[in-house]
Amino acid sequence: MDILDFLFGWLEKTDPKAIVLGFSAIGAGFAMMAGIGPGIGQGFAAGKAAEAVGNNPKGGKQATLVMLLGAAVAETSGIFSLVVAIIMLFANPLVGRMGTSIGGTNAVGTALILAACALGAGLAMIAGIGPGIGQGYAAGKGSEAVGKRPKLQSTVLRTMLLGQAVAQTTGIYALIIALLLLFVNVFA
Amino acid sequence: MIDGRALILACSAIGAGLAMIAGIGPGIGQGFAAGKGAEAVGRQPGAQADVIRTMLLGAAVAETTGIYGLIVAIILLFANPLISTYEKGL
Repeated sequence: MDILDFLFGWLEKTDPKAIVLGFSAIGAGFAMMAGIGPGIGQGFAAGKAAEAVGNNPKGGKQATLVMLLGAAVAETSGIFSLVVAIIMLFANPLVGRMGTSIGGTNAVGTALILAACALGAGLAMIAGIGPGIGQGYAAGKGSEAVGKRPKLQSTVLRTMLLGQAVAQTTGIYALIIALLLLFVNVFA
Repeated sequence: MIDGRALILACSAIGAGLAMIAGIGPGIGQGFAAGKGAEAVGRQPGAQADVIRTMLLGAAVAETTGIYGLIVAIILLFANPLISTYEKGL
């Protein structure tokens, strides 16, 4: 009994649909790990905003607005991951693709590939940790700056949002790869 | 019997997902740059254009490893070299 039989023999004896759905569950779980990022980032932003309000209560309203705006941007990575997870749980696109043969393989092979696509999609969404942390840091520094000089709110906001947009890019790449894996037959 | 092709393609899908995890880095780093940029503009609003230019230049450098990860993932999905190696050997 060679190593492939040992590692994957159970796959042939299992219902292909169960394989795909089982790995979709694991993928959904991995995707939600992205929640780490916004948690850290928004927490930092909250702390910096609280500090800013404490230092200058007169600028409190502007500092709080900047914090909430920046925190909303940081939240997006968590939402993307939640959407991917909910799609995999409630509107699983992979079971629909099980009829076709992927990469010219048999039914078990197709199920294996689709299961791996679910796993890969979930793993890709872990990238959301990064923008969550980074954009939250930017939100914190932005509200700190606005707390010090509330009149500069729009200038600081513009710079902060520009930087946050750049930081978002890798999260979007990961979302694209995840959606490709779920919905598109990438393997010719 | 698990087809060799199926195993390679399945592992390629997992590998593509793992490659995208590299996106964590630029996300954190470019966010830090954005924060420091906002702080600098708050201190010297007149220097906004210079600050933004420097910030974007540094962010572009930080983006590179994220792009490398994306390239590897796209290669694995759309131009899989391992399948051709496998089939050449058969």
